[in-house]
Amino acid sequence: MSEQDLIRELAKLLDETNLTEIEVEREGLRVRIARQITTHVLAPGGAAHVPPIPSIAPAPAIPADLVDPAKHPGAVTSPMVGTAYRAPSPGARPFVDIGSVVKAGDTLLIVEAMKTMNQIPAPRGGTVTQILFEDGQPVEYGEPLMIVE
Amino acid sequence: MFDKILIANRGEIALRVLRACKDLGIATVAVHSTADADAMHVRLADESVCIGPPPARESYLNVPALLTACEITGADAVHPGYGFLSENARFAEILDDHGVHFIGPRAEHIRLMGDKIEAKRTAKKLGIPVVPGSDGGITSDAEALAIGREIGFPLLVKAAAGGGGRGMKVARSAEELAVAVATARSEAKAAFGDDAVYLEKYLEKPRHIEIQVLGDGKGNAIHLGERDCSLQRRHQKVWEESPSPALNAGAREEIGEVVAKAMRDLKYLGVGTVEFLFEDGKFYFIEMNTRIQVEHPVTEEITDIDLILEQIRVANGADLTFRQEDIRFTGHAIECRINAENPVSFRPSPGKIVHYHAPGGLGVRIDSAVYQGYLIPPHYDSLLGKLIVHGKTRPECLMRLRRALDEFVVDGIETTLPLFRALVREDDIIDGNYHIHWLEQFLARGGMNE
Repeated sequence: MSEQDLIRELAKLLDETNLTEIEVEREGLRVRIARQITTHVLAPGGAAHVPPIPSIAPAPAIPADLVDPAKHPGAVTSPMVGTAYRAPSPGARPFVDIGSVVKAGDTLLIVEAMKTMNQIPAPRGGTVTQILFEDGQPVEYGEPLMIVE
Repeated sequence: MFDKILIANRGEIALRVLRACKDLGIATVAVHSTADADAMHVRLADESVCIGPPPARESYLNVPALLTACEITGADAVHPGYGFLSENARFAEILDDHGVHFIGPRAEHIRLMGDKIEAKRTAKKLGIPVVPGSDGGITSDAEALAIGREIGFPLLVKAAAGGGGRGMKVARSAEELAVAVATARSEAKAAFGDDAVYLEKYLEKPRHIEIQVLGDGKGNAIHLGERDCSLQRRHQKVWEESPSPALNAGAREEIGEVVAKAMRDLKYLGVGTVEFLFEDGKFYFIEMNTRIQVEHPVTEEITDIDLILEQIRVANGADLTFRQEDIRFTGHAIECRINAENPVSFRPSPGKIVHYHAPGGLGVRIDSAVYQGYLIPPHYDSLLGKLIVHGKTRPECLMRLRRALDEFVVDGIETTLPLFRALVREDDIIDGNYHIHWLEQFLARGGMNE
């Protein structure tokens, strides 16, 4: 089933069951469809005004590469809790940018823990397509930091 | 008061600590392994940080990761819970070096009581009665034999670096002694990295009675009564209650005061438990635990004092809020440690809890972090939760416990609830007539197969 067919089916399900939100995840693709509810203020002294159920907003086209970053095959995740830096030192040029081509083993970023700087290497060669952290951001164990495809 | 406490533990105790922090208005940081991402306390904490993969060595015991988590969250104190790093003096010192408060005793006292030979020497010096035995580690079989002849058999060979019931071997006669010592040594070396052993008189049918203490580190310390933890399987406590069916008010006051005075002399900071074997009306010190214990709720129920809250307060430098004369013991409390295990084979049963209904009502307390739909991970201990029941009298407490156990539903995994349902109906338990071998004897004669 194509992604658009999936979305159409989910939208139909939402309508049929009166649910307000459906989220589906499989094979690295996660799709969420939510109904927007508008609420009405009660008229003073008046009977409760039953809000009409609005029609579902047309489902937006989901870009082909919308995936949960941690599950992306090219994801580089943090091997430790610490602080992630883009460059070898403050003010220096970042190790890589979006579009950089890297070989396996090239340093992508640094995660600092307990004052030790740990260089994080590219696990495979490829192109950096996403950078998922800001310079100096605290990161958890297992947090996706970059996508190298 | 502390602004933010990092909870360096998991499971029910992490949730317990989180509750005390929230009661005090202190921000909470839950650190967790990837296996505990859906833990209840992680969901409830103000912040959470994943610090490693499931193995404890790489997560809950990972000191650099814990320190880094303190750094990036700005936590100014760490509560270590029980187990893991709670009695690791080095960890307490490292935190101190980094300007983070360790909620627990001073490193020197952790170290002192962590070495079981030193702990016994210290107890003796402080006037606490001890089990007759070797004066320190034994260095030769001849020495061991001489001690055996002096204090009599049977003897217990214990690992100096052991504790919590681990690393002990019985020698019933002089003939068995050399083998017992050799076996104990090699097991101790393998388990604790230290083969030092000492000898103690083996008591045949003692009760395990422990005294809860609290000190402010400035020379003030009080006791909060005893807990009878005689019902054990493989040296693991299963059922704890207070007051002990074996003690009267006089005996309690006497041993309580001896222990409280010792803690005052030590200038002990924080909570601790001094453990004794009790036989023929006499107390024998076995060890001291310098941390909050699993069974602390039993004491909380009869004294109406929040021990974790008090821990945090004194760690922050506050004086004790209570004097000894302020402590009142009301009614009776029993705790059952419910494990995710088969109630007959005790094989661990991790997996998904499909249906969960906890009992409730007056005097019924559940300290547990599980919930319906929760997946119990296989990597850690099998404690599912603690059921703690309070009543005005022991009979009332037992009735309430029986009702609460019958009402408790945990479907999808095996639990030891059937064991407690059987125990609460046993005459010896109802009469309070048991000792530290009672439970294993009950299981060995097929008590669960009736």
